[in-house]
Amino acid sequence: MQKTAEQNAALPLKLLGLALLAVLFLAGTGYQALQSGLEYRLVLGVFATRFLGIFIEAVPFLLLGSLTSGLIETFVKADDILRFLPRNRLGATVGGAFLGLIFPVCECGVVPVTRRLFSKGLPVSMGIAFLLAAPFMNPIVFASTYIAFGIGPVFIGRLVITIAVAVFVGLVIGGLASPRAVLKPIALGAAGHSHDHAQGSARERLLQALQIASDEFFEMGRFLIMGSALAALLQTLVPQESLLALGTGPVLSVVFMQILAYMLSVCSTVDSFLALAFVNTFTTGAIVSFLSFGPMVDIKSTLMFAGVFRRRIVLYLILLPFALNLLAGVLINAALGT
Amino acid sequence: MGAWVAPAKALLLLGMGLYLALLIASGNLTNYINLRFAWLAYIGAAIFLILGLVSAYSLLRPPAHSHAHYRIGWDVLLIIAFPLLLALFLPSRALGVEAINGGVSLRPVGAPAAFSRSPLDRNVLDWLREFDRAAPVTFNGAPADVSGFVYREPSFAPEEFMLSRFTMSCCVADAFPIGMPARADAAAEYATGAWLRVRGELRASAFDGELLPVLLAHTLEAIDEPAQPYLYP
Repeated sequence: MQKTAEQNAALPLKLLGLALLAVLFLAGTGYQALQSGLEYRLVLGVFATRFLGIFIEAVPFLLLGSLTSGLIETFVKADDILRFLPRNRLGATVGGAFLGLIFPVCECGVVPVTRRLFSKGLPVSMGIAFLLAAPFMNPIVFASTYIAFGIGPVFIGRLVITIAVAVFVGLVIGGLASPRAVLKPIALGAAGHSHDHAQGSARERLLQALQIASDEFFEMGRFLIMGSALAALLQTLVPQESLLALGTGPVLSVVFMQILAYMLSVCSTVDSFLALAFVNTFTTGAIVSFLSFGPMVDIKSTLMFAGVFRRRIVLYLILLPFALNLLAGVLINAALGT
Repeated sequence: MGAWVAPAKALLLLGMGLYLALLIASGNLTNYINLRFAWLAYIGAAIFLILGLVSAYSLLRPPAHSHAHYRIGWDVLLIIAFPLLLALFLPSRALGVEAINGGVSLRPVGAPAAFSRSPLDRNVLDWLREFDRAAPVTFNGAPADVSGFVYREPSFAPEEFMLSRFTMSCCVADAFPIGMPARADAAAEYATGAWLRVRGELRASAFDGELLPVLLAHTLEAIDEPAQPYLYP
Protein backbone atom coordinates (compact mmCIF):
# COMPACT_ATOMS: atom_id res chain seq x y z
CA MET A 1 0.00 0.00 0.00
CA GLN A 2 2.89 2.26 -0.71
CA LYS A 3 0.73 3.91 -3.33
CA THR A 4 -1.89 5.09 -0.86
CA ALA A 5 0.73 6.66 1.33
CA GLU A 6 2.16 8.43 -1.67
CA GLN A 7 -1.29 9.72 -2.53
CA ASN A 8 -1.96 11.05 0.94
CA ALA A 9 1.36 12.84 1.00
CA ALA A 10 0.50 14.39 -2.36
CA LEU A 11 -2.82 15.84 -1.21
CA PRO A 12 -1.57 19.35 -0.29
CA LEU A 13 0.44 19.32 -3.52
CA LYS A 14 -2.69 18.53 -5.53
CA LEU A 15 -4.64 21.29 -3.80
CA LEU A 16 -1.81 23.70 -4.54
CA GLY A 17 -1.72 22.59 -8.18
CA LEU A 18 -5.43 23.07 -8.70
CA ALA A 19 -5.36 26.42 -6.91
CA LEU A 20 -2.44 27.53 -9.07
CA LEU A 21 -4.33 26.57 -12.23
CA ALA A 22 -7.38 28.49 -11.03
CA VAL A 23 -5.30 31.60 -10.27
CA LEU A 24 -3.55 31.41 -13.65
CA PHE A 25 -6.92 31.08 -15.33
CA LEU A 26 -8.52 34.01 -13.49
CA ALA A 27 -5.48 36.23 -14.02
CA GLY A 28 -5.36 35.45 -17.75
CA THR A 29 -9.04 35.96 -18.44
CA GLY A 30 -9.18 38.97 -16.12
CA TYR A 31 -6.28 40.64 -17.91
CA GLN A 32 -7.93 39.95 -21.25
CA ALA A 33 -11.20 41.51 -20.06
CA LEU A 34 -9.40 44.64 -18.81
CA GLN A 35 -7.29 44.98 -21.93
CA SER A 36 -10.13 44.51 -24.43
CA GLY A 37 -12.69 46.44 -22.37
CA LEU A 38 -15.14 43.53 -22.60
CA GLU A 39 -17.34 42.34 -19.78
CA TYR A 40 -15.74 39.46 -17.89
CA ARG A 41 -18.81 37.33 -18.60
CA LEU A 42 -18.12 37.60 -22.35
CA VAL A 43 -14.44 36.66 -22.05
CA LEU A 44 -15.44 33.66 -19.98
CA GLY A 45 -18.02 32.76 -22.62
CA VAL A 46 -15.39 32.84 -25.38
CA PHE A 47 -13.13 30.61 -23.32
CA ALA A 48 -15.99 28.20 -22.61
CA THR A 49 -16.91 27.91 -26.29
CA ARG A 50 -13.30 27.33 -27.35
CA PHE A 51 -12.69 24.82 -24.56
CA LEU A 52 -15.89 22.84 -25.12
CA GLY A 53 -15.26 22.81 -28.88
CA ILE A 54 -11.82 21.24 -28.50
CA PHE A 55 -13.08 18.85 -25.84
CA ILE A 56 -16.14 17.71 -27.82
CA GLU A 57 -14.05 17.15 -30.94
CA ALA A 58 -11.36 15.18 -29.08
CA VAL A 59 -13.23 13.18 -26.45
CA PRO A 60 -14.79 10.59 -28.82
CA PHE A 61 -11.27 9.65 -29.92
CA LEU A 62 -10.13 9.30 -26.31
CA LEU A 63 -13.14 7.06 -25.67
CA LEU A 64 -12.32 4.90 -28.69
CA GLY A 65 -8.73 4.67 -27.47
CA SER A 66 -9.91 3.73 -23.97
CA LEU A 67 -12.18 1.03 -25.40
CA THR A 68 -9.30 -0.34 -27.49
CA SER A 69 -7.15 -0.33 -24.38
CA GLY A 70 -9.79 -2.22 -22.39
CA LEU A 71 -10.24 -4.79 -25.15
CA ILE A 72 -6.47 -5.33 -25.40
CA GLU A 73 -6.30 -5.83 -21.64
CA THR A 74 -9.01 -8.49 -21.57
CA PHE A 75 -8.60 -10.23 -24.93
CA VAL A 76 -4.86 -10.08 -25.68
CA LYS A 77 -2.41 -12.14 -23.67
CA ALA A 78 0.97 -10.60 -22.96
CA ASP A 79 2.63 -13.76 -24.33
CA ASP A 80 0.87 -13.31 -27.68
CA ILE A 81 2.34 -9.86 -28.13
CA LEU A 82 5.84 -10.91 -27.11
CA ARG A 83 5.75 -13.91 -29.45
CA PHE A 84 5.15 -11.79 -32.55
CA LEU A 85 7.81 -9.18 -31.79
CA PRO A 86 10.80 -8.96 -34.09
CA ARG A 87 13.94 -10.01 -32.26
CA ASN A 88 16.23 -7.07 -33.00
CA ARG A 89 15.58 -3.55 -31.80
CA LEU A 90 15.60 -1.85 -35.19
CA GLY A 91 13.05 -4.28 -36.56
CA ALA A 92 10.82 -3.87 -33.52
CA THR A 93 11.04 -0.06 -33.65
CA VAL A 94 10.20 0.11 -37.34
CA GLY A 95 7.36 -2.30 -36.63
CA GLY A 96 6.19 0.06 -33.88
CA ALA A 97 5.91 2.89 -36.39
CA PHE A 98 3.52 0.75 -38.45
CA LEU A 99 1.57 -0.69 -35.49
CA GLY A 100 -1.05 2.04 -35.92
CA LEU A 101 -2.36 0.16 -38.96
CA ILE A 102 -3.49 -2.58 -36.53
CA PHE A 103 -4.53 -0.30 -33.63
CA PRO A 104 -6.06 2.72 -35.38
CA VAL A 105 -5.96 5.54 -32.84
CA CYS A 106 -5.38 9.28 -33.02
CA GLU A 107 -3.28 11.30 -30.60
CA CYS A 108 -5.98 11.41 -27.94
CA GLY A 109 -6.41 7.65 -28.00
CA VAL A 110 -2.83 6.56 -28.55
CA VAL A 111 -1.59 7.27 -25.03
CA PRO A 112 -3.87 4.81 -23.16
CA VAL A 113 -3.23 2.16 -25.80
CA THR A 114 0.54 2.65 -25.60
CA ARG A 115 0.47 2.45 -21.84
CA ARG A 116 -1.55 -0.75 -22.02
CA LEU A 117 0.88 -2.24 -24.53
CA PHE A 118 3.82 -1.25 -22.29
CA SER A 119 2.22 -3.03 -19.37
CA LYS A 120 1.87 -6.11 -21.63
CA GLY A 121 5.63 -6.03 -22.16
CA LEU A 122 6.08 -4.00 -25.35
CA PRO A 123 9.71 -2.78 -25.63
CA VAL A 124 10.24 0.94 -24.95
CA SER A 125 11.66 1.80 -28.39
CA MET A 126 8.76 0.11 -30.16
CA GLY A 127 6.16 1.74 -27.91
CA ILE A 128 7.61 5.21 -28.45
CA ALA A 129 7.72 4.71 -32.23
CA PHE A 130 4.08 3.63 -32.04
CA LEU A 131 3.17 6.58 -29.82
CA LEU A 132 4.67 9.13 -32.19
CA ALA A 133 3.67 7.56 -35.50
CA ALA A 134 0.25 6.02 -34.85
CA PRO A 135 -1.74 9.29 -34.82
CA PHE A 136 -0.87 9.66 -38.52
CA MET A 137 -0.14 6.04 -39.45
CA ASN A 138 -3.73 4.90 -39.52
CA PRO A 139 -6.38 4.53 -42.22
CA ILE A 140 -8.60 7.38 -41.00
CA VAL A 141 -5.85 10.00 -41.06
CA PHE A 142 -4.49 8.70 -44.37
CA ALA A 143 -7.96 9.33 -45.77
CA SER A 144 -8.33 12.85 -44.36
CA THR A 145 -4.85 13.86 -45.53
CA TYR A 146 -5.55 12.44 -48.97
CA ILE A 147 -8.89 14.26 -49.21
CA ALA A 148 -7.23 17.56 -48.26
CA PHE A 149 -3.99 17.35 -50.22
CA GLY A 150 -4.12 14.37 -52.62
CA ILE A 151 -0.99 12.30 -53.19
CA GLY A 152 1.66 15.01 -53.42
CA PRO A 153 4.60 16.50 -51.55
CA VAL A 154 2.49 17.13 -48.44
CA PHE A 155 1.16 13.56 -48.13
CA ILE A 156 4.46 11.87 -48.97
CA GLY A 157 6.47 14.30 -46.83
CA ARG A 158 4.15 13.70 -43.88
CA LEU A 159 4.46 9.92 -44.26
CA VAL A 160 8.25 9.80 -44.62
CA ILE A 161 8.98 12.32 -41.87
CA THR A 162 6.56 10.72 -39.42
CA ILE A 163 8.14 7.27 -39.81
CA ALA A 164 11.72 8.60 -39.74
CA VAL A 165 11.23 10.77 -36.65
CA ALA A 166 9.26 8.10 -34.77
CA VAL A 167 11.87 5.40 -35.42
CA PHE A 168 14.77 7.72 -34.56
CA VAL A 169 13.27 8.96 -31.29
CA GLY A 170 12.24 5.42 -30.36
CA LEU A 171 15.77 4.12 -30.90
CA VAL A 172 17.36 6.99 -28.99
CA ILE A 173 15.15 6.79 -25.90
CA GLY A 174 14.84 3.00 -25.96
CA GLY A 175 18.59 2.62 -26.46
CA LEU A 176 19.78 5.02 -23.79
CA ALA A 177 17.57 4.17 -20.84
CA SER A 178 16.08 1.14 -19.12
CA PRO A 179 12.29 0.77 -19.04
CA ARG A 180 12.34 1.68 -15.34
CA ALA A 181 14.02 4.99 -16.11
CA VAL A 182 11.54 5.77 -18.89
CA LEU A 183 8.15 4.62 -17.64
CA LYS A 184 6.18 5.47 -14.54
CA PRO A 185 5.52 2.43 -12.32
CA ILE A 186 1.88 2.30 -13.46
CA ALA A 187 2.93 1.57 -17.06
CA LEU A 188 5.42 -1.12 -16.10
CA GLY A 189 4.23 -4.68 -16.58
CA ALA A 190 4.66 -6.02 -13.07
CA ALA A 191 3.36 -3.14 -11.01
CA GLY A 192 -0.30 -3.16 -10.02
CA HIS A 193 -1.16 -6.27 -12.03
CA SER A 194 -0.75 -9.49 -10.14
CA HIS A 195 -3.34 -11.20 -12.32
CA ASP A 196 -3.91 -11.41 -16.06
CA HIS A 197 -7.34 -10.23 -17.21
CA ALA A 198 -7.27 -12.18 -20.44
CA GLN A 199 -9.35 -15.05 -19.08
CA GLY A 200 -12.99 -15.93 -18.37
CA SER A 201 -16.02 -16.05 -20.66
CA ALA A 202 -16.42 -13.58 -23.52
CA ARG A 203 -19.24 -11.79 -21.69
CA GLU A 204 -17.18 -11.41 -18.52
CA ARG A 205 -14.24 -10.16 -20.54
CA LEU A 206 -16.40 -7.62 -22.36
CA LEU A 207 -17.80 -6.27 -19.08
CA GLN A 208 -14.25 -6.12 -17.74
CA ALA A 209 -13.11 -4.30 -20.88
CA LEU A 210 -15.83 -1.69 -20.41
CA GLN A 211 -14.90 -1.21 -16.74
CA ILE A 212 -11.27 -0.75 -17.67
CA ALA A 213 -12.27 1.66 -20.44
CA SER A 214 -14.11 3.81 -17.86
CA ASP A 215 -11.09 3.83 -15.56
CA GLU A 216 -8.89 4.71 -18.51
CA PHE A 217 -11.19 7.59 -19.42
CA PHE A 218 -10.95 9.08 -15.93
CA GLU A 219 -7.20 8.55 -15.82
CA MET A 220 -6.46 10.09 -19.24
CA GLY A 221 -9.50 12.35 -19.52
CA ARG A 222 -8.20 14.68 -16.84
CA PHE A 223 -5.11 15.37 -18.92
CA LEU A 224 -7.21 15.90 -22.02
CA ILE A 225 -9.40 18.36 -20.11
CA MET A 226 -6.48 20.29 -18.61
CA GLY A 227 -4.76 20.35 -22.01
CA SER A 228 -7.89 21.53 -23.80
CA ALA A 229 -8.37 24.23 -21.16
CA LEU A 230 -4.77 25.40 -21.61
CA ALA A 231 -5.09 25.44 -25.40
CA ALA A 232 -8.39 27.34 -25.19
CA LEU A 233 -6.87 29.82 -22.74
CA LEU A 234 -3.90 30.48 -25.02
CA GLN A 235 -6.20 30.93 -28.00
CA THR A 236 -8.35 33.34 -26.06
CA LEU A 237 -5.33 35.36 -24.92
CA VAL A 238 -2.82 35.18 -27.79
CA PRO A 239 -4.01 36.51 -31.17
CA GLN A 240 -3.48 33.94 -33.93
CA GLU A 241 -2.57 36.75 -36.31
CA SER A 242 0.45 37.72 -34.24
CA LEU A 243 1.84 34.27 -35.00
CA LEU A 244 0.86 34.41 -38.65
CA ALA A 245 2.50 37.77 -39.15
CA LEU A 246 5.80 36.41 -37.89
CA GLY A 247 5.65 33.18 -39.83
CA THR A 248 7.47 34.02 -43.05
CA GLY A 249 10.81 32.77 -44.36
CA PRO A 250 12.00 29.19 -44.86
CA VAL A 251 13.04 28.60 -41.23
CA LEU A 252 10.81 30.86 -39.16
CA SER A 253 7.68 29.69 -40.95
CA VAL A 254 8.42 26.10 -39.91
CA VAL A 255 9.16 27.13 -36.31
CA PHE A 256 5.90 29.05 -36.07
CA MET A 257 3.75 26.39 -37.67
CA GLN A 258 5.14 23.86 -35.20
CA ILE A 259 4.45 26.15 -32.26
CA LEU A 260 0.97 26.71 -33.65
CA ALA A 261 0.44 22.95 -33.99
CA TYR A 262 1.55 22.51 -30.39
CA MET A 263 -0.75 25.24 -29.11
CA LEU A 264 -3.83 24.43 -31.17
CA SER A 265 -3.84 20.75 -30.15
CA VAL A 266 -6.17 19.82 -32.99
CA CYS A 267 -6.89 16.13 -33.51
CA SER A 268 -4.80 14.39 -36.16
CA THR A 269 -7.90 13.11 -37.92
CA VAL A 270 -8.91 16.64 -38.86
CA ASP A 271 -5.69 18.65 -38.84
CA SER A 272 -5.31 18.35 -42.62
CA PHE A 273 -8.41 20.46 -43.13
CA LEU A 274 -7.03 23.01 -40.72
CA ALA A 275 -3.67 23.04 -42.51
CA LEU A 276 -5.51 23.85 -45.74
CA ALA A 277 -6.28 27.22 -44.17
CA PHE A 278 -2.57 28.04 -44.12
CA VAL A 279 -1.59 26.79 -47.57
CA ASN A 280 -1.64 30.28 -49.07
CA THR A 281 0.25 31.92 -46.21
CA PHE A 282 2.95 29.41 -45.35
CA THR A 283 5.77 27.49 -47.03
CA THR A 284 5.28 23.83 -47.98
CA GLY A 285 7.91 22.77 -45.45
CA ALA A 286 5.97 24.56 -42.73
CA ILE A 287 2.72 22.81 -43.72
CA VAL A 288 4.40 19.39 -43.73
CA SER A 289 6.06 20.01 -40.36
CA PHE A 290 2.77 21.25 -38.94
CA LEU A 291 1.16 17.98 -40.03
CA SER A 292 3.94 15.66 -38.91
CA PHE A 293 4.81 17.38 -35.62
CA GLY A 294 1.28 18.27 -34.44
CA PRO A 295 0.03 14.67 -34.06
CA MET A 296 3.21 13.64 -32.22
CA VAL A 297 3.15 16.29 -29.52
CA ASP A 298 0.80 19.03 -28.43
CA ILE A 299 -0.40 20.58 -25.20
CA LYS A 300 -2.96 17.94 -24.33
CA SER A 301 -0.78 14.96 -25.30
CA THR A 302 2.10 16.44 -23.26
CA LEU A 303 -0.13 16.28 -20.21
CA MET A 304 -1.20 12.75 -21.10
CA PHE A 305 2.46 11.71 -21.61
CA ALA A 306 3.07 12.84 -18.04
CA GLY A 307 0.77 10.04 -16.91
CA VAL A 308 2.96 7.39 -18.58
CA PHE A 309 6.53 8.61 -18.76
CA ARG A 310 8.93 10.04 -16.26
CA ARG A 311 9.30 13.80 -16.40
CA ARG A 312 12.69 13.90 -18.09
CA ILE A 313 11.48 11.56 -20.83
CA VAL A 314 8.42 13.76 -21.47
CA LEU A 315 10.83 16.62 -22.14
CA TYR A 316 12.80 14.50 -24.64
CA LEU A 317 9.54 13.42 -26.26
CA ILE A 318 8.75 17.08 -26.98
CA LEU A 319 12.18 18.47 -27.87
CA LEU A 320 13.49 15.63 -30.08
CA PRO A 321 10.45 15.54 -32.41
CA PHE A 322 10.40 19.35 -32.46
CA ALA A 323 14.04 19.57 -33.57
CA LEU A 324 13.79 16.71 -36.08
CA ASN A 325 10.58 17.97 -37.68
CA LEU A 326 12.05 21.45 -37.87
CA LEU A 327 15.09 20.06 -39.68
CA ALA A 328 12.88 18.14 -42.09
CA GLY A 329 10.68 21.16 -42.80
CA VAL A 330 13.67 23.41 -43.49
CA LEU A 331 15.18 20.76 -45.79
CA ILE A 332 11.91 20.54 -47.74
CA ASN A 333 11.87 24.32 -48.13
CA ALA A 334 15.49 24.28 -49.30
CA ALA A 335 14.74 21.50 -51.80
CA LEU A 336 11.67 23.28 -53.18
CA GLY A 337 13.56 26.58 -53.25
CA THR A 338 11.04 28.65 -51.29
CA MET B 1 -10.99 6.00 -1.18
CA GLY B 2 -14.52 6.92 -0.23
CA ALA B 3 -17.56 4.87 -1.13
CA TRP B 4 -18.92 7.84 -3.07
CA VAL B 5 -16.27 7.61 -5.80
CA ALA B 6 -17.90 4.78 -7.77
CA PRO B 7 -21.38 6.41 -7.87
CA ALA B 8 -19.78 9.74 -8.77
CA LYS B 9 -17.96 8.10 -11.68
CA ALA B 10 -21.15 6.50 -12.99
CA LEU B 11 -22.95 9.82 -12.63
CA LEU B 12 -20.23 11.74 -14.49
CA LEU B 13 -20.17 9.23 -17.37
CA LEU B 14 -23.96 9.37 -17.70
CA GLY B 15 -23.83 13.17 -17.40
CA MET B 16 -21.30 13.44 -20.22
CA GLY B 17 -23.43 11.17 -22.42
CA LEU B 18 -26.56 13.20 -21.68
CA TYR B 19 -24.72 16.48 -22.32
CA LEU B 20 -23.56 15.35 -25.77
CA ALA B 21 -27.04 13.96 -26.54
CA LEU B 22 -28.62 17.29 -25.50
CA LEU B 23 -26.16 19.24 -27.66
CA ILE B 24 -27.14 17.10 -30.64
CA ALA B 25 -30.88 17.35 -29.91
CA SER B 26 -30.88 21.12 -29.30
CA GLY B 27 -28.76 21.92 -32.35
CA ASN B 28 -26.24 23.72 -30.14
CA LEU B 29 -23.56 21.33 -31.42
CA THR B 30 -23.12 23.78 -34.32
CA ASN B 31 -21.67 26.27 -31.83
CA TYR B 32 -18.67 24.01 -31.29
CA ILE B 33 -17.82 21.75 -34.22
CA ASN B 34 -18.20 21.56 -37.97
CA LEU B 35 -21.34 19.52 -38.63
CA ARG B 36 -19.30 17.42 -41.04
CA PHE B 37 -17.92 15.81 -37.87
CA ALA B 38 -21.22 15.57 -35.97
CA TRP B 39 -20.94 11.75 -36.14
CA LEU B 40 -18.07 12.06 -33.65
CA ALA B 41 -20.46 13.47 -31.06
CA TYR B 42 -22.91 10.62 -31.76
CA ILE B 43 -20.15 8.07 -31.11
CA GLY B 44 -19.03 9.96 -28.00
CA ALA B 45 -22.56 10.11 -26.57
CA ALA B 46 -23.13 6.40 -27.24
CA ILE B 47 -19.86 5.27 -25.60
CA PHE B 48 -20.39 7.55 -22.58
CA LEU B 49 -23.90 6.20 -22.03
CA ILE B 50 -22.75 2.58 -22.38
CA LEU B 51 -19.84 3.10 -19.97
CA GLY B 52 -22.14 4.96 -17.56
CA LEU B 53 -24.76 2.22 -17.63
CA VAL B 54 -22.15 -0.49 -17.11
CA SER B 55 -20.72 1.46 -14.16
CA ALA B 56 -24.19 1.91 -12.67
CA TYR B 57 -24.93 -1.79 -13.21
CA SER B 58 -21.75 -2.88 -11.45
CA LEU B 59 -22.69 -0.64 -8.52
CA LEU B 60 -25.76 -2.80 -8.02
CA ARG B 61 -23.99 -6.06 -8.75
CA PRO B 62 -20.30 -5.73 -7.87
CA PRO B 63 -18.06 -7.88 -10.09
CA ALA B 64 -16.48 -11.05 -8.66
CA HIS B 65 -13.06 -9.54 -8.16
CA SER B 66 -12.98 -5.81 -7.88
CA HIS B 67 -9.78 -4.15 -8.90
CA ALA B 68 -8.71 -0.57 -8.56
CA HIS B 69 -6.08 -0.08 -11.23
CA TYR B 70 -5.95 3.61 -10.72
CA ARG B 71 -6.77 5.44 -7.58
CA ILE B 72 -9.24 8.08 -8.62
CA GLY B 73 -9.64 10.83 -6.07
CA TRP B 74 -11.77 13.92 -5.74
CA ASP B 75 -9.26 15.97 -7.75
CA VAL B 76 -9.71 13.75 -10.82
CA LEU B 77 -13.49 13.83 -10.44
CA LEU B 78 -13.40 17.61 -10.15
CA ILE B 79 -11.37 17.98 -13.33
CA ILE B 80 -13.63 15.57 -15.24
CA ALA B 81 -16.65 17.53 -14.01
CA PHE B 82 -15.20 20.83 -15.25
CA PRO B 83 -16.67 20.70 -18.80
CA LEU B 84 -20.07 19.76 -17.38
CA LEU B 85 -19.95 22.62 -14.87
CA LEU B 86 -19.09 25.11 -17.63
CA ALA B 87 -21.92 23.76 -19.78
CA LEU B 88 -24.33 23.92 -16.84
CA PHE B 89 -23.58 27.44 -15.66
CA LEU B 90 -22.75 29.30 -18.88
CA PRO B 91 -25.17 29.63 -21.80
CA SER B 92 -24.10 27.83 -24.99
CA ARG B 93 -22.86 30.45 -27.43
CA ALA B 94 -21.13 30.54 -30.79
CA LEU B 95 -17.97 32.62 -31.13
CA GLY B 96 -18.98 36.20 -31.85
CA VAL B 97 -17.39 39.61 -32.18
CA GLU B 98 -16.00 39.46 -28.63
CA ALA B 99 -13.85 36.46 -29.63
CA ILE B 100 -11.97 38.49 -32.23
CA ASN B 101 -8.48 38.93 -30.92
CA GLY B 102 -6.28 40.82 -33.36
CA GLY B 103 -8.53 41.87 -36.21
CA VAL B 104 -10.59 40.41 -39.03
CA SER B 105 -8.89 38.95 -42.10
CA LEU B 106 -9.68 40.15 -45.61
CA ARG B 107 -8.13 37.00 -47.06
CA PRO B 108 -10.16 33.86 -47.79
CA VAL B 109 -9.59 30.65 -45.85
CA GLY B 110 -9.11 27.20 -47.35
CA ALA B 111 -8.67 25.94 -50.88
CA PRO B 112 -10.04 28.07 -53.73
CA ALA B 113 -13.56 27.01 -54.67
CA ALA B 114 -13.79 24.73 -57.70
CA PHE B 115 -16.72 26.71 -59.10
CA SER B 116 -18.04 30.19 -58.61
CA ARG B 117 -21.55 30.83 -57.25
CA SER B 118 -23.83 33.44 -58.74
CA PRO B 119 -23.34 36.81 -56.98
CA LEU B 120 -26.57 36.84 -54.96
CA ASP B 121 -25.82 33.38 -53.48
CA ARG B 122 -22.34 34.28 -52.25
CA ASN B 123 -21.55 34.47 -48.56
CA VAL B 124 -18.66 36.42 -47.02
CA LEU B 125 -16.18 33.61 -47.71
CA ASP B 126 -17.30 33.23 -51.34
CA TRP B 127 -16.86 36.97 -51.88
CA LEU B 128 -13.36 37.00 -50.39
CA ARG B 129 -12.42 34.14 -52.70
CA GLU B 130 -13.66 36.20 -55.66
CA PHE B 131 -11.81 39.29 -54.42
CA ASP B 132 -8.64 37.21 -54.28
CA ARG B 133 -8.56 36.54 -58.00
CA ALA B 134 -9.45 39.89 -59.59
CA ALA B 135 -8.80 43.62 -59.16
CA PRO B 136 -11.28 45.57 -57.02
CA VAL B 137 -12.73 47.55 -59.96
CA THR B 138 -13.87 44.36 -61.74
CA PHE B 139 -16.63 43.98 -59.15
CA ASN B 140 -18.13 47.44 -59.69
CA GLY B 141 -21.91 47.20 -59.83
CA ALA B 142 -22.14 43.53 -58.81
CA PRO B 143 -25.25 42.90 -56.67
CA ALA B 144 -24.75 41.31 -53.24
CA ASP B 145 -26.94 39.87 -50.48
CA VAL B 146 -24.76 38.89 -47.54
CA SER B 147 -25.26 38.12 -43.83
CA GLY B 148 -22.75 38.53 -41.04
CA PHE B 149 -22.02 40.40 -37.84
CA VAL B 150 -20.72 43.94 -37.51
CA TYR B 151 -17.05 44.42 -36.71
CA ARG B 152 -15.36 47.80 -36.38
CA GLU B 153 -11.79 49.02 -35.96
CA PRO B 154 -11.23 52.29 -34.04
CA SER B 155 -9.93 53.87 -37.29
CA PHE B 156 -13.16 53.23 -39.25
CA ALA B 157 -15.43 56.11 -40.28
CA PRO B 158 -18.94 56.05 -38.67
CA GLU B 159 -20.57 54.61 -41.83
CA GLU B 160 -17.87 51.95 -42.29
CA PHE B 161 -17.85 48.41 -40.88
CA MET B 162 -16.73 44.90 -41.76
CA LEU B 163 -19.49 42.35 -42.35
CA SER B 164 -17.82 39.40 -40.65
CA ARG B 165 -18.10 35.68 -40.05
CA PHE B 166 -16.00 33.03 -38.36
CA THR B 167 -14.84 30.20 -40.59
CA MET B 168 -14.41 26.75 -39.07
CA SER B 169 -12.76 23.71 -40.65
CA CYS B 170 -13.12 21.21 -37.83
CA CYS B 171 -13.95 22.79 -34.48
CA VAL B 172 -13.66 26.18 -32.78
CA ALA B 173 -9.94 25.47 -32.28
CA ASP B 174 -9.40 26.64 -35.85
CA ALA B 175 -12.17 29.27 -35.99
CA PHE B 176 -10.89 32.29 -37.91
CA PRO B 177 -12.62 35.66 -38.37
CA ILE B 178 -12.97 36.98 -41.92
CA GLY B 179 -14.95 39.93 -43.22
CA MET B 180 -15.80 42.09 -46.21
CA PRO B 181 -15.72 45.89 -46.08
CA ALA B 182 -19.16 47.52 -46.09
CA ARG B 183 -20.51 51.05 -45.98
CA ALA B 184 -23.99 52.25 -45.00
CA ASP B 185 -25.34 55.64 -43.93
CA ALA B 186 -27.35 53.98 -41.15
CA ALA B 187 -24.44 51.79 -39.99
CA ALA B 188 -24.03 53.65 -36.70
CA GLU B 189 -27.51 52.49 -35.60
CA TYR B 190 -26.24 48.92 -35.33
CA ALA B 191 -24.03 47.87 -32.47
CA THR B 192 -20.76 46.09 -32.97
CA GLY B 193 -21.49 42.37 -32.97
CA ALA B 194 -25.08 42.75 -34.25
CA TRP B 195 -26.11 40.31 -36.98
CA LEU B 196 -27.16 42.00 -40.23
CA ARG B 197 -28.40 41.02 -43.64
CA VAL B 198 -27.00 43.56 -46.09
CA ARG B 199 -28.32 43.98 -49.63
CA GLY B 200 -26.57 46.33 -52.01
CA GLU B 201 -23.86 46.50 -54.64
CA LEU B 202 -20.09 46.47 -54.76
CA ARG B 203 -17.93 49.42 -55.68
CA ALA B 204 -14.17 49.80 -55.50
CA SER B 205 -13.34 52.64 -53.17
CA ALA B 206 -10.98 53.73 -50.42
CA PHE B 207 -11.83 51.89 -47.17
CA ASP B 208 -9.74 52.63 -44.10
CA GLY B 209 -7.01 53.96 -46.41
CA GLU B 210 -6.95 51.09 -48.91
CA LEU B 211 -8.59 50.55 -52.33
CA LEU B 212 -10.98 47.63 -51.79
CA PRO B 213 -14.23 46.29 -53.23
CA VAL B 214 -16.72 47.77 -50.75
CA LEU B 215 -20.27 46.60 -50.21
CA LEU B 216 -22.49 49.69 -50.49
CA ALA B 217 -25.66 48.87 -48.58
CA HIS B 218 -29.06 49.69 -50.03
CA THR B 219 -30.90 47.99 -47.19
CA LEU B 220 -29.81 46.85 -43.73
CA GLU B 221 -31.87 44.30 -41.88
CA ALA B 222 -31.21 43.14 -38.31
CA ILE B 223 -31.41 39.33 -38.15
CA ASP B 224 -31.01 36.61 -35.53
CA GLU B 225 -27.78 34.67 -35.36
CA PRO B 226 -28.10 31.96 -38.05
CA ALA B 227 -28.60 28.32 -36.99
CA GLN B 228 -25.18 27.62 -38.47
CA PRO B 229 -23.16 30.60 -37.25
CA TYR B 230 -19.88 29.56 -38.88
CA LEU B 231 -18.88 29.24 -42.52
CA TYR B 232 -17.31 25.91 -43.48
CA PRO B 233 -14.44 26.29 -45.94
